[in-house]
Amino acid sequence: MRGRRCEHLLVRMLTDGAGQERDIRSVLASQRGRLATLAETWLDAGARGYGVWAEGRSVAHWPAAGPAEEGAGLSAPIYVGRRVRGELRVSGLDSPAAQARLEVEAQMVSRLAQLVDELDEMTAALVDAQDHLLALYDLASSTRSQLGVPDTLRTLACEAARLAQAEGAFALLVEPGRGPLVEHYPEPLVERKLLLGLFEQVQAKASALVLHGASVATVLEDVFGIRNLLFEPIRIRGNIIAGLGLLNKAGGDFGSPDLKLVQAIAEQAGAQIENVLLYQETLAQAKLQHEMELAARIQLTLLPRRLPKVAGLDLYAHSRPALQVGGDFYDFMALPDRPAIFAVGDVSGKGMSAALLMAMTRTAIRSQASFMSRPTPQEVLSRSSRDLYDDLTEVNMFVTAFVGQYEPGLRRLSYANAGHSPVVFCPAGGSARLLWADDPPLGVIPLDHPRGQSLSFQVGDMLMVATDGFSEARNPAGEMFGYDRLLQLVEKFGRDGESAEEATRIVLDTVTAFGAGQEQDDDQTLIMLRGVAL
Amino acid sequence: MEPELRMSADGRVTILALAGRFDSYTAPRVAEQLARAMSAPHPQVLVNLEKVEFLDSTALATLVQSMKHCRQQGGDLRLCCLQQPVRMIFELTRLDKAFEIWADEGEAVRAFAGADVD
Repeated sequence: MRGRRCEHLLVRMLTDGAGQERDIRSVLASQRGRLATLAETWLDAGARGYGVWAEGRSVAHWPAAGPAEEGAGLSAPIYVGRRVRGELRVSGLDSPAAQARLEVEAQMVSRLAQLVDELDEMTAALVDAQDHLLALYDLASSTRSQLGVPDTLRTLACEAARLAQAEGAFALLVEPGRGPLVEHYPEPLVERKLLLGLFEQVQAKASALVLHGASVATVLEDVFGIRNLLFEPIRIRGNIIAGLGLLNKAGGDFGSPDLKLVQAIAEQAGAQIENVLLYQETLAQAKLQHEMELAARIQLTLLPRRLPKVAGLDLYAHSRPALQVGGDFYDFMALPDRPAIFAVGDVSGKGMSAALLMAMTRTAIRSQASFMSRPTPQEVLSRSSRDLYDDLTEVNMFVTAFVGQYEPGLRRLSYANAGHSPVVFCPAGGSARLLWADDPPLGVIPLDHPRGQSLSFQVGDMLMVATDGFSEARNPAGEMFGYDRLLQLVEKFGRDGESAEEATRIVLDTVTAFGAGQEQDDDQTLIMLRGVAL
Repeated sequence: MEPELRMSADGRVTILALAGRFDSYTAPRVAEQLARAMSAPHPQVLVNLEKVEFLDSTALATLVQSMKHCRQQGGDLRLCCLQQPVRMIFELTRLDKAFEIWADEGEAVRAFAGADVD
């Protein structure tokens, strides 16, 4: 460091003509007392005059009264580096000893000049460093209070323009999968598209882009009046996805001090933007978590608290929501004067929107089933479809729904199925089969005349209306539970005479065991019916 | 599964050929390609499912959403070349009533053109 500083000093002194006299003067200013003592000893020793000269002119002389003596005498060069930058002169003495002594003094003055200048350099560097530290501290405190990315970028551009004395500045962030964010200070000097193009160059180069003079593109100069530009990349989590640009340096081009300053700002800014992004991610997660909890609560609140008693049926139902709540539901509507109606539905999608649509669908089906004088499953489905179609289309979602109705006197189960699966029916002693839907889900196409079906439902017959959370449950190998395993289970329930509740528990346990610790991806909801004696 | 997007020979229909499993894991990539296919006005999109051996409810939702979007824009999304297990899923959920499904890609493309003339 010290070596570099000396070298720098030397270069400056060699190239800067005005530096010569200034350095000698600054030595004089600080060492005047010592030089005066030296002068006195010369005068005491019989010299007529003693002086410091540079470029043929006197810089200082003793005795102070009267003009500097220009006549012949002794002289010794003051070197700085390898070049003569001045001389010491003594008049009125002429001996080899005096000459030798004068030369030694000249060397001392040379050395002093060098030391004084080094000190100046070091002081200047310290002041600079202090300035930068203060500037960065300012930047940190002004950006720390910003919680949003755009505000952080704007503050960054503003502080950078101020510190580097540029006419304008911009800061941008290009996150993958999101639109680029560009903020300007004090106002956009260059159009956004051009800045994004330059940013691609900075990304490719992975280092600062400095343009001035002839390297400024014609369009930048002609259209936007940009004389020079400094564009520094900012690394966020190791990737160059942000940048800080300065435009039109006041009174010149961007030099290496500006580059160093902007690099320091960019490092600081990178850390700050990372913090802001992290904060926002945490906030988004917390929001999502809150939304999920709310969705789960909506879902659980809307499920029936008690199961109805229906003559001729042993029934049970259960729903377990996934971590990312889906839109499953089941419902029973058992009014005293009419056959009981039950429904199972599954809204496409997850989260709050699915939970809200589930609530809407349940309400539509429930009100149709309750307010019609003689509701039938296909009529309930048809009217619900009409109620929901526009809203479902608006949000681009759909709902599968199975609506069933049991008439104990006839031992008949009628149903209408809009895209819902799996529905498994197993007659007593027979084989289990899937009941296919007769219409597409609600919200896909208008369902004007859904088809209704009916089954004879006798003692020992079993019906399981489940949601695809069961058939699509995965094990760690990625294999799905599938329809076949569900068919086998229901067939076995029929044979073993399991109660609806016990059968439900076995389905849930079997699917859980199959998942072998794999997280449940989707809600799992089912209604289990078993025909029993009236 | 790498969804492959191409234009029909007459340049009227965007064909998306899918392969392998079309499920919740691969659906986002398919949705991306479908969004590209649907970016034109009156999008006419044909999804070729010849090499798809399985699809789940997320895949169905992706297709339904895109189909509705196309129809709202005055176009359509149709399907062709369904294998038996895939056809079964459409029949089980009765989505075969909602989609126009063709056995052959060429016929499907020609049907688009014919509809256009009408």
